[in-house]
Amino acid sequence: MIAVEGLRKRFGHQVALQHLNFAVPQGEIFGFLGPNGAGKTTTIRILATLTSPDGGTATIGGIPVDRDAFRVRRLIGYMPDFFGVYDRLSTLEYLEFYADCHDVPPRRQRAVAHELLELVDLTARAGDQVDTLSRGMKQRLCLARALVHDPQVLLLDEPASGLDPRARIEMRELIRELRRMGKTILISSHIVPEVEELCTWIGVIDRGRMVEVGPKADVLRRAVGGRRLRIELANVEDQTLGAAQKWIAERGDVIAAEVVDNALELSVGEDFVKHRLLRDLVHAGFDVDSFTSVTGNLSDVFMRLTVSAAGDA
Amino acid sequence: MMGSTPTSLRRLVKNPLIVKDGLSRVRTWRAPAVIALYLAVLGLVVYLALTFQLAVFRGGFGFAQVGRNVFTAIAEVQLALVCLFGPAVAAGAVSGERERQTLDVLMVSSMTPWAIIWGKLVASVAFILLLITAALPVFATVFFLGGIDFEQFLISQLVTVTTALSIGAVSLFLSVLFQRTLASTVVAYGFTFAVTAGTWLVGTVLTQMAFAQAQISKGPIGPTGPTGPPGAHPLLLISPFHALSSALQNASGARLGLQPANVLLSPGGPAAGGTAFEPWLATVLFQLVLVGLGIFGAVWLLRGRRITLLQRSPAHRPALPPEIEHPTP
Repeated sequence: MIAVEGLRKRFGHQVALQHLNFAVPQGEIFGFLGPNGAGKTTTIRILATLTSPDGGTATIGGIPVDRDAFRVRRLIGYMPDFFGVYDRLSTLEYLEFYADCHDVPPRRQRAVAHELLELVDLTARAGDQVDTLSRGMKQRLCLARALVHDPQVLLLDEPASGLDPRARIEMRELIRELRRMGKTILISSHIVPEVEELCTWIGVIDRGRMVEVGPKADVLRRAVGGRRLRIELANVEDQTLGAAQKWIAERGDVIAAEVVDNALELSVGEDFVKHRLLRDLVHAGFDVDSFTSVTGNLSDVFMRLTVSAAGDA
Repeated sequence: MMGSTPTSLRRLVKNPLIVKDGLSRVRTWRAPAVIALYLAVLGLVVYLALTFQLAVFRGGFGFAQVGRNVFTAIAEVQLALVCLFGPAVAAGAVSGERERQTLDVLMVSSMTPWAIIWGKLVASVAFILLLITAALPVFATVFFLGGIDFEQFLISQLVTVTTALSIGAVSLFLSVLFQRTLASTVVAYGFTFAVTAGTWLVGTVLTQMAFAQAQISKGPIGPTGPTGPPGAHPLLLISPFHALSSALQNASGARLGLQPANVLLSPGGPAAGGTAFEPWLATVLFQLVLVGLGIFGAVWLLRGRRITLLQRSPAHRPALPPEIEHPTP
């Protein structure tokens, strides 16, 4: 649905994007991670037709963003990293105004506004002036505004920045609901755990280059260098752990076994059958407390991939 | 980058910005306060001018001359008030959107740069037109004194409305050009003063100097002079203040003789074989040119993303607070 190839952008002497490549399949939630100044907002602004690229191509729904901006604008809903609201307009009038700006037929504008207020749980505040809403409510209202023309793609720049935990959870649930409605969603965020929890695809950008991109599971697997298992035993004495490590290492199907934080961590192949190892361990007399797959931690991925930028800063 | 033609045409009359800005404006205490102040000033001018005129012309002139002079006075004051309020309502139209951080969202909608600029212009000028309309009863009262015919009345309103439009269009252009409303407002006031009062003041001084020079070097002026009078300075042709006084004092033939420029520029008007362009016509055409330049310039700036002077790249945005940048999991 979104395809970016070789995208380049400079602001004076500063390089914002250098040959950026990534794609977002339809119906996915793409988490766009990167440190400050990495190029997230520039990329989103190019996709939103607000900034022209210096080179490369960016398409949404197959339409080049820099050639047919008006067709692209009908496909996208854009929520910037700030919420600009008008004073002296009610939330209902606010949404009706944007529905009109997006060419929603006049007879549908009020109905659309009511439907969206219900979606973002602001029906009770329909008559309230926008500037009296809390930050979380304003953020939800801005998301509703991005939806007035029922776009297929949502570009959300830091949608949860500055929100308290409750508002953040509400926003997360709302985004999940939008995915269930079939929207393709690109979210840029600094909040790594939130991206890890919410997104199905991950892209990490650093100094204008995409340094990691793919389905979340693949990114996390690559982060831990393959498939790993963690086994915790009831008896954590060195002797017991050592015996278990030796016993496992002698098996031909385990690549490596090591003791990490009073537990065993194993590197195994893609076709490894977990339940067979568990059964054999129990039969061998080891009391197994926990037996889990180790998935990578996105925070670690983020820190490892963007460490160069931090080091240069 | 333009939308479909039917949509563009529809936006001429049904533009959401007109409704939204109109609602936002009239929902403040400032709107009725400005209208009240405006009418109070005009009413005071009528009272003072009428008192003064009746005292000065007691027994000398009829009500027609008094009516003409009072009408001219309130027309000039109304124009001054339009020059005062015009930049205030238009110079923040786009920069205000930028400061509220709503311009990007508007640009991503189906609104074309034409539709945005047109909506902003109409919304801004509509308030000035409301002021002008609200003052019509005041003008009607003076109109009953006589001395002004309906054509003169129409010319005075035409000059005022086109001046309001040009101030609005140029202020809007400046509002797109400058990042901050303060900067665009200051420059808009400077521009407004220059092309309205400035042209009048400088044009009058230069004309008077030429007038004096002619007197010194060539003897008496006027129809009996050796070479006829020197022409008024061209700056006067584009001054709406001069256009008003010229149209209201000249057309009915009873000049006060206070402004030699009026006499010199179009003696007798076209009908008498004088200058082809009446000052009011030249002024109206000049204001319409400014309207066109203002609108096209604003659209050009907005369409080309040359949105502001001193615009910063997204990468230069101020950093978020640390707790937002690096939240604890």
